[in-house]
Amino acid sequence: MSILAYNGGAMVAMKGENCVSIATDRRFGIQAQTIATNFEKVFQMGPHLYVGLPGLATDTQTVMEKLRFRKNLYELKENRLMSPKVFAAMLSNLLYEKRFGPFFVEPVVAGLMPKTYEPYICNMDLIGCINPPNDFVVGGTASAQLYGMCEALWEPNLGPEDLFETTSQALINAFDRDAISGWGATVYIIEKDKVTIKNLKTRMD
Amino acid sequence: MFLTRSEYDRGVNTFSPEGRLFQVEYAIEAIKLGSTAIGICTSEGVVLAVEKRITSPLMEPTTIEKIVEVDKHIGCAVSGLMADSRTMIDRARVECQNHWFVYNENMSVESCAQGVSNLAIQFGDSDDDGAAMSRPFGVAILFAGIDEKGPQLYHMDPSGTFVQFDAKAIGSGSEGAQQSLQEVYHRSMTLEEATTAALTILKQVMEEKLNASNVEVMTMTPKDLFHMFPKEQVEEVIGKLT
Amino acid sequence: MFATENAYYPDYSTKPIQHSFSPYADNGGSVVAIAGDDFVVVGADTRLSAGFSIYTREQNKLFPLSNTTVLGCSGCWCDTLTLTRILKSRMQMYHQEHNKVMSTTACAQMLSTMLYYKRFFPYYISNILVGLDNEGKGCIYSYDPIGHCEKTTYRAGGSAGALLQPLLDNQIGQKNLTKVSAESITQEKALAILKDVFISAAERDIYTGDNVMINIITKDGIKEDNFELRKD
Repeated sequence: MSILAYNGGAMVAMKGENCVSIATDRRFGIQAQTIATNFEKVFQMGPHLYVGLPGLATDTQTVMEKLRFRKNLYELKENRLMSPKVFAAMLSNLLYEKRFGPFFVEPVVAGLMPKTYEPYICNMDLIGCINPPNDFVVGGTASAQLYGMCEALWEPNLGPEDLFETTSQALINAFDRDAISGWGATVYIIEKDKVTIKNLKTRMD
Repeated sequence: MFLTRSEYDRGVNTFSPEGRLFQVEYAIEAIKLGSTAIGICTSEGVVLAVEKRITSPLMEPTTIEKIVEVDKHIGCAVSGLMADSRTMIDRARVECQNHWFVYNENMSVESCAQGVSNLAIQFGDSDDDGAAMSRPFGVAILFAGIDEKGPQLYHMDPSGTFVQFDAKAIGSGSEGAQQSLQEVYHRSMTLEEATTAALTILKQVMEEKLNASNVEVMTMTPKDLFHMFPKEQVEEVIGKLT
Repeated sequence: MFATENAYYPDYSTKPIQHSFSPYADNGGSVVAIAGDDFVVVGADTRLSAGFSIYTREQNKLFPLSNTTVLGCSGCWCDTLTLTRILKSRMQMYHQEHNKVMSTTACAQMLSTMLYYKRFFPYYISNILVGLDNEGKGCIYSYDPIGHCEKTTYRAGGSAGALLQPLLDNQIGQKNLTKVSAESITQEKALAILKDVFISAAERDIYTGDNVMINIITKDGIKEDNFELRKD
């Protein structure tokens, strides 16, 4: 089995009308054994910027700390907020530095561009190849299931409420068909003047 | 009857010039030495009744088994060489279980009879399957069963020929019993009437006096399927006979 | 100088080369089935492919076995051809031996035993058997390659099975929904969902596309339908 599927996890981000969403499951396991059901894989990197790091749990945390370090340094030097696009480029760069001994994470970035509040989402592979589409991105062990769900449920110009419903339905139904992700979900809806975080109860089997 | 007896009556796979297989015909004759068995098929179910020949008072009557369960929905009464009947019943059981295993459904009574018939004609020269049987089985069988077509009764003789009957008698008393069956049988018969009729006829054709330990009675109904009468129930039916 | 093992000149290598033969191919394809109270619909895409090349865009993967039973196959196409030919002859043999048409339930059990008999050299097929049971109710049986059989009311199988199954859970099984309707699914709704999920599958699965063949099985027999998918 791939080392990327050692701990399990599912992640999805979607674009909406002046808002973006990012959602993840809450399981931390070692192969089939569930260890915890409150594991954080999505991290706030700015007022309108979130990054999700599904994959090997130890790398999730290492990459998160390395990112926080580089982002803080950038913000101190530049004295301005890091935009999602720049953040993604920095993350891509960080991952490519380890081209031949990579971190086993497949990141998902979601946020609003500073000033314009234009939605931005992207995901990348474990060595930092960026994919910034107009609809949705997925990651983790339930990615095949998520592609099927998102492809059918997503539509353009969803409002925050509809975006929440679409994202959570896509995530929950997808990870219910994956043995190593699930056990609760967290959904972040990022809007211009507020970020809504909802913890969802899901089936625990 | 056997005026044409000749060297042709020895080989099981040699036709006589008149086109007869004597060994098969003799096997059919062997049935007429067996104990009598009667089967009646009604719309409510099928009843089988057989006589057990208790040849010695020291014999344990319950160890003579002439009515057997093949599957929950098929029962058989046999007459003739009991040892041969074991082989045939075994085949019938295997056929039923195999059908259930492969198709997850009850085997039809006709198909079960067909399966046993295939075994019954495997006498003669050996083929690819290995050693063949040296002679035909000396057994006649009554198959009583319930399938999607409802209650059914089939009769099979040593030649492997099987035919559906409303009512059929086999064994030593079969000629007289078959005559009586023809007189009493009617389409709207209840199972209770059929049970009484079967035992009445059995009583007439049996040499010994009929009692609860020298007969076996079984009914096959859609509700209870294979039901062998316990001794008390046999006594109850015998008590009602005139 | 005259090194015999030069990576740039593999033709001049004197090292033994190990050749291997793989008896299986994955020719892709997806099958989706949805059952209702008195009908069952089954659809299969018509793309037959291997790796990045397409063998044909018009390969039917649905096999009617009787007036009430249809088998949908995806996976190794050569195994599908063999299995369906054996099935067809087994159906005929059953008909002749037992004087009746094999029921969907009997066929489902038979398929399971047939697959298990090749436990150690399996038919590499994802099978979905659909039909009407003895009461005329729609039913679906899905299999793994070695004969594990599960009876369900909806199923997605084949190369886009993982993409589509959660979608069917949600749209037909009404999983994770707060408003659950007690009504059973209609034929029109089943057909609409079937078409929608294939369109979704064709977006992301390169082994699913071109066309979808649909069989609608009711007490009146099997009706065929067809619709187009993206062809890239």
